[in-house]
Amino acid sequence: MANPVSARDIRRVIANATSLQVSDRANIVMCVLAAVRACGVKRVLMMPENGGIRSLLKRGLQREQKLCDNRFPELEMTDTQISGTVDDTFAATQAMVDSGVKAIVVLGGDGTHRAVAKVCGQVPIAGISTGTNNAFPEHREPTITGLAVGLAATGRIPESVAFTLNKLLCVKINDGERSDIALVDVVVSTERYIGARALWRTDNLREIFVTFADPEVIGMSAIAGLLEPVSRNDFGGLHVLLDDPEVTENLLQVPIAPGLISTVGVQSWQKLEPGIPFTLRQSSGIIALDGERELEFGPEDTVQVTLYEKAFRTVNVGACMRHTGQHRLLVGAPLELLAT
Amino acid sequence: MSDNPFPLSRDELLNIYQTMRTIREFEERVHVEFSRGDIPGFVHLYAGEEASATGIMTHLRKDDRISSTHRGHGHCIAKGVDVKGMMAEIFGKKTGVCGGKGGSMHIADLDKGMMGANGILGAGAPLACGAALAAKYRDKGDIAISFVGDGASNQGTFLESLNLASIWNLPVVFVVENNGYAEATSVDWAVACDSYVDRASGFGMPGVTVDGTDFFAVYEAAGEIIRRAREGGGPSLLECKMIRFFGHFEGDAQTYRAEGEVDDIRAKRDCLKSFSKTVTAAGVLSQADLETCDTDVLSLIEEAVSTAKAAELPTEADLLTDVYVNY
Repeated sequence: MANPVSARDIRRVIANATSLQVSDRANIVMCVLAAVRACGVKRVLMMPENGGIRSLLKRGLQREQKLCDNRFPELEMTDTQISGTVDDTFAATQAMVDSGVKAIVVLGGDGTHRAVAKVCGQVPIAGISTGTNNAFPEHREPTITGLAVGLAATGRIPESVAFTLNKLLCVKINDGERSDIALVDVVVSTERYIGARALWRTDNLREIFVTFADPEVIGMSAIAGLLEPVSRNDFGGLHVLLDDPEVTENLLQVPIAPGLISTVGVQSWQKLEPGIPFTLRQSSGIIALDGERELEFGPEDTVQVTLYEKAFRTVNVGACMRHTGQHRLLVGAPLELLAT
Repeated sequence: MSDNPFPLSRDELLNIYQTMRTIREFEERVHVEFSRGDIPGFVHLYAGEEASATGIMTHLRKDDRISSTHRGHGHCIAKGVDVKGMMAEIFGKKTGVCGGKGGSMHIADLDKGMMGANGILGAGAPLACGAALAAKYRDKGDIAISFVGDGASNQGTFLESLNLASIWNLPVVFVVENNGYAEATSVDWAVACDSYVDRASGFGMPGVTVDGTDFFAVYEAAGEIIRRAREGGGPSLLECKMIRFFGHFEGDAQTYRAEGEVDDIRAKRDCLKSFSKTVTAAGVLSQADLETCDTDVLSLIEEAVSTAKAAELPTEADLLTDVYVNY
């Protein structure tokens, strides 16, 4: 699942965010394909898109076919429509799940991973960061991610080692009239329109809910991470109440986007218990999910945020590779191709 | 808390709606008049793309300059060019903004900062660089905008302009209005790297992609990019992903489009409908406000057409005027 348009938003202008080129994204996919093939994966499904990745892959794979290297698996596009919107991700993920895939590799930012997680059910996902403020996908060489996925998907690593269960946040407006999820953070802002989606103005922030609070990431979840770190594996999350930095003395300096350190006003914070719905303090505004403004709400709406444990699975790349080294899984001749 | 959630006042939002509605009705009417055979030359309609021109132009000042494309009616209206003068120009009449000698593809009004629609693809980008260079020397914070389509973005002039703007750090914004088709050729077949943001990076400037059918998305992104240019941050590229309701030109059979494609986008991705829904749902403008505006716009367009039709054609003597300009 390779998103060709992640990292294209306004943060390239208001901050110093980079934008990974389409040709680099195609190279990442090639790395993953070569790695999973080396682990014995014969067939891979991919989301079709018109952003350029597919055409560059086609060129690269045709060259490899001429060289008869057999370094790559069969690549097949899902039979899904291309609209150039997030609907493509939903449809392709569903098609992959229906086809019985063993794992889904995701190239994108937190938003892309969120879109896949909404649909993938219990199929584990492996994230590769190609977005802007990526808290969810870990930063790692994609070849290694591909190896871990390949070994896990072919059953060479026990599921108890290969896969990790993750937390997520669920937002419900008026008992589910509207609802959505976030993998990392739900942010409440007094801004009241969606606009260009990416969130970066900090003086309007009023509440943050996070599944984990990592002080080593940038973005909204960094606010929580710099107050009280909570790991992905810890029980529960964190709920932070914020204030206008002009009216509070409790200030925090936060890396909110690449190269952009902003001042945030902090009121208080507390552990976020799983399974207990929290009603928003703010009566109207917008809700950003994993850094993007998504939902508007007003005084007539009741908004609740709930943290869920063990909500979806990811490939634990680090654990997979440690297991691979400890059990010498790659020692010897190339691994046999599996039937599918 | 204010009842208005938008960063624009009620009057500003009403003006924006009026501009978008004027562009829409202007184009729908030109579509009808062209089919009657009353309009000479070619016309390329901007209907469906109103959020781009309006979202960007709302940030511009009188002394900011724009260069446009062959599909330039929307840019002209959003920059403040007289609608009646534009209609007369399209009908080739003497009362047109260019004396009836330019037609649809060469409407210009320098007093409004509109340096011209342009029948030559990619030709507007160097003009915008020139205007931006002048603005840089004058140092009053003025900027230039170069509108270009996805097809023209492959022209050497456009790519050379990106380079020039970058090395001279010009206050210029390149707006790629990507409606998916270069005439009849899909961008999938015609644009090598498929990403205009990648192209911008290649010339050392930031690029941003935005939903060009969402006025508020365009408005916010354009605001930051234009502010950056005014403050001396140099050139940027803004890609507006959008959809045109009509063919490349009037008379285009559009055999390259899927059956029902246009009906679907008119129903689901109409920027005017989404703007109306957003501002009325927020209670800032009422349906009655919009309907009053619609009536005013229709009257304006009707008057523009009737006066254009009644106006005189240019004479033989007019052929030799406006050829040279004294500086």
